[in-house]
Amino acid sequence: MAQTFGWTGKILRVDLTNGKVSIDDTMKYKDFIGGEGIGYKILWDEVPAGTHPYDPENKLIFGAGPLCGSGVPCSGRTTIVSLLPTSSHHGAGSSHMGGYFSVEMKYAGWDAIVLEGKAPKPVWIRIEDDKVKIEDARWLWGKGIFDTMAMIDSQMGKEAQVAAIGPAGENQLNMAVIRTGTSHSAGGHGGILGAKNVKAVAVKGTGSVKVAADRSKLMELDKYMMSIIGANNQMVVPSSPQPWAEFSDKGSRWTGRPGLYWGAANPPVETGTCDPHDMQSVGFRTMKAVFDLGAGAEKYTVRMGGCAHCPIRCHSQLKVPQLEKYGMDPFVSNTCVGWSGPRGVMYNGIKEFDGNGEDSSIVGNAIGTTMVDDLGVWCNYGQIGRDVKYLYTKGIFKKVLPAEEYASIPWDKLEKGDATFLIDFYDRVAHKKGEIWHIADGSAWFAQRWGLGDEYWDYKDNKLWTRGGYPVHHSNEAGAQVGALISCLTNRDSQNHSHMNFIGSKLPIAIQKEIAGEIFGSPDALDAPMDYTKMNEYKARFIKYAVVRGRLHDSLTLCNWMWPMAVSPLKERKYRGDTSLESQFFSAVTGVAKTEAELDKDAERVVTLLRALTVRSMGTVDMRNTHDAMNKWIYTPDKKDGKEIAQFTKGTIQMEKSDLDLGLGMVYKQFGWDEKTGAPTKAALEAVGLKDVAEELGAKGLLPA
Amino acid sequence: MDTSGTTTVDPGASAVETIRRDSAAGRLTLLSSLLEAAPADSPRAPDPLREIEESGAEDLKRMDGRVEAYFFSELAMTRSYAAYLFRLAEKDLVGLVVETVREDSRVYPRPTPLDFFRASPFGLSPEQVEDILSRIRERGDCGDIRESRASNGARYLYSTRYLTVAHADALTEWNEVGQAENP
Ligand code: SF4
Repeated sequence: MAQTFGWTGKILRVDLTNGKVSIDDTMKYKDFIGGEGIGYKILWDEVPAGTHPYDPENKLIFGAGPLCGSGVPCSGRTTIVSLLPTSSHHGAGSSHMGGYFSVEMKYAGWDAIVLEGKAPKPVWIRIEDDKVKIEDARWLWGKGIFDTMAMIDSQMGKEAQVAAIGPAGENQLNMAVIRTGTSHSAGGHGGILGAKNVKAVAVKGTGSVKVAADRSKLMELDKYMMSIIGANNQMVVPSSPQPWAEFSDKGSRWTGRPGLYWGAANPPVETGTCDPHDMQSVGFRTMKAVFDLGAGAEKYTVRMGGCAHCPIRCHSQLKVPQLEKYGMDPFVSNTCVGWSGPRGVMYNGIKEFDGNGEDSSIVGNAIGTTMVDDLGVWCNYGQIGRDVKYLYTKGIFKKVLPAEEYASIPWDKLEKGDATFLIDFYDRVAHKKGEIWHIADGSAWFAQRWGLGDEYWDYKDNKLWTRGGYPVHHSNEAGAQVGALISCLTNRDSQNHSHMNFIGSKLPIAIQKEIAGEIFGSPDALDAPMDYTKMNEYKARFIKYAVVRGRLHDSLTLCNWMWPMAVSPLKERKYRGDTSLESQFFSAVTGVAKTEAELDKDAERVVTLLRALTVRSMGTVDMRNTHDAMNKWIYTPDKKDGKEIAQFTKGTIQMEKSDLDLGLGMVYKQFGWDEKTGAPTKAALEAVGLKDVAEELGAKGLLPA
Repeated sequence: MDTSGTTTVDPGASAVETIRRDSAAGRLTLLSSLLEAAPADSPRAPDPLREIEESGAEDLKRMDGRVEAYFFSELAMTRSYAAYLFRLAEKDLVGLVVETVREDSRVYPRPTPLDFFRASPFGLSPEQVEDILSRIRERGDCGDIRESRASNGARYLYSTRYLTVAHADALTEWNEVGQAENP
């Protein structure tokens, strides 16, 4: 095998049905970059349309990209690709976890691990460099993820990185995660491991990732990037005024400041001034515990943690001694929706409970996150909480649950804000007890089962984007049509931050608009917050950029919660970032010289392939009126004092149907897809090198006329 | 951080060094304290103003108050931060709030949370903030400053010169509640 840089050159395939292990050549997939791109190519080639996610014929791919493990900042992410059980048409999709799994996988010599077939009995997979063993998992089956990891670590050593499912995954719950490390969960694919009888994949590697460029060149690029990097989500102004900062914004994740501590560290560590020129303090900028959980979390914070090769550290690691009261480990860690998703079930908020006093909210959050991280339940980007609220307050649970089951659920705790409700709730859900667990089939499926119609889908507070069964994720509420239309192009919540890492930078609007003009051709690509204008060509370009970069990062694999870096915290750079950094790193690491445009073209291939997969699995070219059809609440005008508030007046984020329809066409055009249906044309497929895909779709009658 | 604007001048240090050091520590340098620290018979800094001028140091900026003058170095402190400290030092709390609110409404644009003035470098008490609000209401030239309230009860101020009532209300709710619900 020829020497490769960045890529290890090898993909591990494990056929669980017959226990056969084989090696594939990564370089035959190099046009798809890595990670997500390789995953979609394998699904296209090897998983026939109509396959159920839990069928042995479905495959699941743990993917890393060429930059993963190379030391490029924020490159420790793993992309998992498979069919999505929650999707109304079982479309293809990716889930993502941070931690150290993919880096260890690369060190063991693998760019990806492909799981095929179904093991005859529960197993776990032990990978130590090129030694691969399928192990008996009878002692692990039924265990929570924490115990599972501990038991595997006791055999392989602490340096092994484990990706595991809990009871939710074993029970083939659609809303189940695969988890690694203390707090890194990939949502939506846990049930597929369960269906394959795989409890865990554990990997230990002693190799390294070879880099083509001279080490000083990589160091130089690293240093340059470290000057441009902001705080989590590339927010580049601090949350409070600082002597060095021209700007500040209360909503910024750059929360580090003098007087704010990792209060449970021994001795406590001050986050401090965090001047952007001081690389050594980058890891103190994002004091996410207080951002996610409020000021009361300061005294519980041991430190901030995160993924391999990431200077940002966006996962709060807390010690909450009160958890011992509930038989739980006092050490707990998470970030963002990892906290808000599980607690979201407490739709009335968490009030004082169980003598936890003013710290009840922290304790409640910690209970929620511990439950789902151990049982392996996914929140569908917070949808589970909105669904509980709707189903309970509208009396639907009362109607669809057997009376005895309904009576056995401690609704009083939910109403009172007693977070021990979460212990009862997640236990029922993960173990598929009674009828209520069907909430974790996902919206698309329980809506059918429980006879929920338009009212459910079109109810504004439910925030469901399409009838595909997934919710908003940085959609119109934050990004006008840019966020809205990005949300139409995936089979799950968009999981895209390429636009938010710019829109949410917290810089003044004039600076942001100037930068938008430089990148997208006009400042009109960007609207001021809640001062939306009609769709235009430049917004369509912005959407293409965001979608393409999302796929690029999940293929390289870089953290899309930081990349791309269109802005920086540096006044002397006029707050400009550098959107060519990915291609600079790619060229340096792999030795394959690519410009920014060339690398984007490769990612466009991945975007188009995902679209082709969706067309194939839905069996129609009419994406516009099926897959991309948004729920009504998105474009229904708000009302005040009985009167409608017209769209595009300041203060309303409601979209306009005709404008969204126009926008969809403009976005399709950006990709060269058919403007009427939104399906990739033969020419568009061939333009990105997907001739074989065009042929197959053509043979199936799935190319637009 | 001591942001009181009170300098502890080292008589041996030059005025330029003193200003830069103060700015790095997050405080303004008072002209009066530079003068105090420059005894007439000092061979090094007989006239701090002349020294500043002759140094050609372009990072040093001067702000004139009612009786006092203040210096800061742009190497370590931005104009916006210096302007906050200036108004605090001049005890122009109404001006501090009004101008901050107008600037936020114009520039970002966004309403300004009241708790912004409670934190560093302002450190105002709830009573002080309420007192400022009532003085703003009484003044004839601050009619553009209005209050908005989020559903969680948080209070914000904005300027109608730059934000409509509906826009300010929506931004208040988004900044205070909506963003946290869309992490
Ligand atoms: S920003 Fe957070 S999620 Fe992204 S790589 Fe860093 S620690 Fe991981």
